[in-house]
Amino acid sequence: MRKTIVLILSAVVLQAVPVLARTPSPENAQVYFIWPSDGMVVGHAFWVRMGLRNMGVAPKGTDIAKTGHHHLLIDIDLPENMDQAVPNDRNHLHFGAGETEARIELPPGSHTLQLLLADKDHIPHDPPVYSKKITVTVK
Amino acid sequence: MRIRLAALLFATAVSVLAAEPTPAPPNAYLYIGWPNDGQVVSSGKPIRVWFGLRNMGVAPKGVKFPNTGHHHLLIDTDAPGPGVEIPNDRNHLHFGAGETETMIELPPGRHTLQLVMGDDQHVTFDPSVQSKKITITVK
Repeated sequence: MRKTIVLILSAVVLQAVPVLARTPSPENAQVYFIWPSDGMVVGHAFWVRMGLRNMGVAPKGTDIAKTGHHHLLIDIDLPENMDQAVPNDRNHLHFGAGETEARIELPPGSHTLQLLLADKDHIPHDPPVYSKKITVTVK
Repeated sequence: MRIRLAALLFATAVSVLAAEPTPAPPNAYLYIGWPNDGQVVSSGKPIRVWFGLRNMGVAPKGVKFPNTGHHHLLIDTDAPGPGVEIPNDRNHLHFGAGETETMIELPPGRHTLQLVMGDDQHVTFDPSVQSKKITITVK
């Protein structure tokens, strides 16, 4: 009897786990900068072109497997806690309308850019899909 | 009274049949980021096609979200006009999962490529959001 209860309980727990889990990312999913490239010198306003492979773009709130929307991280590291929504501030630009390009204006100097994909609730996938962090110099 | 009802029914039927095409977002700009117009590529090796889109977002098929659509790559064919359902065949590739790039392989010779956006129902916008038609040569 006790064994049965344990089995039932573990079954319940196992079923509950996926609900708490983050959205899985497809194997080989890759987000990257089409433009600009690492080390490039750019004007104060420039287009950022966001590339995505083996995965699709969907606006925020869209519950479709193997999709997500872009976030551009400017002069900041990846969030430490990937279980939480990507912050929404001047260092974390959200593209919740499914945009794949953005016109960015930055002050002169050296800046880092990194792309991070997130799911319908702005929470990064598991494993997270992010680009290499690149550096551009705004002249 | 009966005539009025019939007229009303007729008007309803007509408005359902002749549903207005989804208006194109203002300034929407669609282009092929790669390959370039006139490019010569080697045969026997897939080429990557980049879908460039500005002032508009990407959403998978069936998703109704303002100012979004999904990409269609037209190969060796002309683009339909506004408000037309895009055919689904080897000349009209659908990217209903929100893809923003693809790999294609073409036989040797000259080929044309063109991008066209479709709305949640694969119907072209009004005015149609379409790229310049480019020509590539597979050698």
